[in-house]
Amino acid sequence: MALFDSRFLKQLEYLSLISKRVFRGSLLAQRRTMQLGGGIEFADHREYTAGDDFRYLDWNVYARHGELLLKRFQEEEDLHVYLFLDCSLSMGFGTPAKFDYARQITAALAYIALADLDRIAVIAYSDQVVADFPLTRGKDRILSLLRFLENLEPQGTATDLARVATVFTQRTQRRGLAVVVSDLFDPQGFSQGLDILRHRRYEPNIVQVHDPAEADPHLLGELELIDIETSAGQKVTITERALRRYKQIFQDHQQAVRQYGRKYGLSCIQSPTAVPFDELILRMMRTAGAVQ
Amino acid sequence: MNFVTPAAFWWLLLAGPVIVFYILKIRLRRVPVSTILFWRQIYEEKPPRSIWQHLRHLLSLLVQLLMLSLLVISLTEPYFSWQPLQARKLVLVVDNSASMRATDEKPSRLHKALDLAGSLITSLRFQDEMAIVAGTQPQVVCGLTGHPRTLYNALNSITPTDGPTRVADGVALAKRLIGSSRNGQVIVLTDGCFVGSEGYLSAPVADAASVGSPAINNKTNTDASSVGHGVSVQLAVIGKRTSNVGITRFQARRSLLDPIGYEILAEVVNASDEPVECRLEMELNGEVLDVVPLQLAAGAEWSHTFEKATADGGTLIAKLNRPDALETDNQAWALLPKREMQPLTLVTEGNLFLEKVLEANPLVQLTVKKPTEPQPTTPGSVVVFHRTVPAKLPAGPVLVIDPHGSSEFWTLGEKLPNPIVTKQDKDSPLMAHVRLDNVLMPEAHKLTFTNPEQVQVLVSALSGDPLFAAIEHPGGKVTVLTVNLDEGDLPLRTVFPIMTSNVLSWFAGQRGELRESLAAGAVVDLKLSQAGVPPEAVLQPLVLVDPQDRQRSLPEKSDKVTLGPLDQCGLWSIKPAPKEPAAKEQAVAPLVQVACNLANRQESDIRPAQILIDKASESPALRGAGMRPLWYYLLVLAWLLAALEWCLYQRRWIG
Repeated sequence: MALFDSRFLKQLEYLSLISKRVFRGSLLAQRRTMQLGGGIEFADHREYTAGDDFRYLDWNVYARHGELLLKRFQEEEDLHVYLFLDCSLSMGFGTPAKFDYARQITAALAYIALADLDRIAVIAYSDQVVADFPLTRGKDRILSLLRFLENLEPQGTATDLARVATVFTQRTQRRGLAVVVSDLFDPQGFSQGLDILRHRRYEPNIVQVHDPAEADPHLLGELELIDIETSAGQKVTITERALRRYKQIFQDHQQAVRQYGRKYGLSCIQSPTAVPFDELILRMMRTAGAVQ
Repeated sequence: MNFVTPAAFWWLLLAGPVIVFYILKIRLRRVPVSTILFWRQIYEEKPPRSIWQHLRHLLSLLVQLLMLSLLVISLTEPYFSWQPLQARKLVLVVDNSASMRATDEKPSRLHKALDLAGSLITSLRFQDEMAIVAGTQPQVVCGLTGHPRTLYNALNSITPTDGPTRVADGVALAKRLIGSSRNGQVIVLTDGCFVGSEGYLSAPVADAASVGSPAINNKTNTDASSVGHGVSVQLAVIGKRTSNVGITRFQARRSLLDPIGYEILAEVVNASDEPVECRLEMELNGEVLDVVPLQLAAGAEWSHTFEKATADGGTLIAKLNRPDALETDNQAWALLPKREMQPLTLVTEGNLFLEKVLEANPLVQLTVKKPTEPQPTTPGSVVVFHRTVPAKLPAGPVLVIDPHGSSEFWTLGEKLPNPIVTKQDKDSPLMAHVRLDNVLMPEAHKLTFTNPEQVQVLVSALSGDPLFAAIEHPGGKVTVLTVNLDEGDLPLRTVFPIMTSNVLSWFAGQRGELRESLAAGAVVDLKLSQAGVPPEAVLQPLVLVDPQDRQRSLPEKSDKVTLGPLDQCGLWSIKPAPKEPAAKEQAVAPLVQVACNLANRQESDIRPAQILIDKASESPALRGAGMRPLWYYLLVLAWLLAALEWCLYQRRWIG
């Protein structure tokens, strides 16, 4: 069965309709961007500095208080959605593979964005950008996007979002949403890459997926654990106690991701692959609504 | 330390593979995971290959090697060098008498004795030998052997019986088995419910018992029966002082007065220390015959004779309605054979006394005929000739009274005036309860028998002439009474109906005769032909069937058979052997039945002497019971080490 079959497309259409009816303007493109720019809706003031456009001086304030304050307006422009799809080997783990699940989520988010006349780009990465689907607009581009996603495979030697984010932010492009669909098993830590995106005024959104066997592994005894990304081995004697400790560490990791999201006001969705992707998307819609 | 099979040390070579496997180690299973970040985090906190873990593996290796060593040493069957010098010859005398069926020890005393015997078998040391003696008639169940399995099998073959206790015979047999061996020991596993049980205690014990001292610590009698020499006889007493009420006698006999009547003698004993109320119920063929409520004081006995009558016969069962620890004496059996009607033709000119005497017998179908009338020819019919005598007597049973003529068996002589009875054959069944020496008989006839060898003179006069004689010839039985009934007072005496009844019984043979109930454990010789078994049945294979329907073959084509020992209470039967094994299930009418009852006061009294009970736990016979040979303990140790290794293994997994 192909990853994106007709049934999948129907589900995407359904999600798109749901997003319009119920969560109108609340998920991706139809929301206001956090960017300040040349729109008409007032946002706030800031002090005038040399070189600023006089047209935006608030003369009323100057008349009353004698202070030079510049009016700032919320920019109203199309939202750019950058979908970061983790293609590292660790995403190939699990049944079904996390990678398939992540691709479905990516496709769904892209479809909803395209349906809302926003621009999307997909950046497939592992330790570097392995494939790029350039910024595009229009629902008619969905098929080429699906083909692009279908042709992707887990690859690379490690996960390095920080490096990818650095390269990404060096591009001349508009800011926008940066949705990272990944397991966040990054040897350097998951926050570094997100920080870079954040610092470059992107709005990172986290979709973290994991396999149930990662949260609750059924491993006991003397084993040699092989990291499928790095092929590094670790000879361990897994006891019940060690297993309990592993579960605790895994939960701590998940908790850390959630805390990061809360701390910086980022949308953070965590899900095992056992949850159907459409259900996850609906959950994301609700969460996005709540966050806004 | 010595070893029975030192060749087993070769098994130590198995240590090689154990060490090799330890050194090589089995390649670990490789499991791919999406990331080892988290696992590393765990083992950074606690390095997995710590020194302790290495030591734990080394400890595992040592445990495995030690376990292997222990197993190998077990296989070599080690023993101490003093053991052959002190090898014992033990003989277990297992009392499987009726009292050992008592259930005061669960499930029964015998089961407990067998359990105890089992533990004694397990405690046999190297080169120890044991034999087992048991049975109603003590016999060697297993000869001297050191092979535990053989002994266990022999032990399992011992079944409970209803026989009497024969400990003395068993001990004597045991001593003969031991002979003059050193370290001989006889261990009697009994409930101590037999006469002289205290005699197996040593002399100091007996003395102490006589003064009621509880300070007794030795139950060993080096020679209680003075048969063995230096053989230690030890008593292991099983059971408690338990109350029991039992039927100790139950017999039926023919009534002397009533040909179809019978008398039942029942005796019940209360072998307990408190008064008891119970009920004795008697049934004949399932119909209640009598119910007697009993109130028995402690240790009291009750006996009574019941008079009943039946011509149909059947199985008489007495039951006590009080459940107690010994069931086997709560029921007793007796057999009443069916009495057949006897057709009898009296050929006489007329004698009222004779007619009435014969009429009075309820089993007689009397027909009176004149000598001129045609005489009967019915086979088996008894013919009584009074005075008249045909020249040739008819076949079958014939009684001739006061013959006035000769026949083929005798020649009539002159009259004998006033014959005085001087000789009577008291052993003959024809003369049972008959005494003629005081009877007035003024006249008789002298008879000269043609074949004196056939004749049994039962009563003879002073002159030596027969007055009452019995003749057995191929054609039948003849009795002749030469006394003139009209002249004397014989018809007026009670002896006359007794005589006629005896004669008719003799004619009938054993048919319808009562067979007494036998005591359990009895051995009885039986003539099948006399017991009413048809001659053609004697020629075919016969089996003796016990109350539990187990069959024993009887000697083929033998009229005389020995039954017993009858070690089960109930009805024993002789039946034709089933021709096919499948035919066992089919009901075959028994040819002969024998009732067997416990009828043994000693067995019914299941209260061992208190002194035996007091010392039961201190019995030297039980000292060492349950001890096992050295290899067993090594094996246990090996299992403990296996458990330790299992713990270590689990610890590696569970943490």
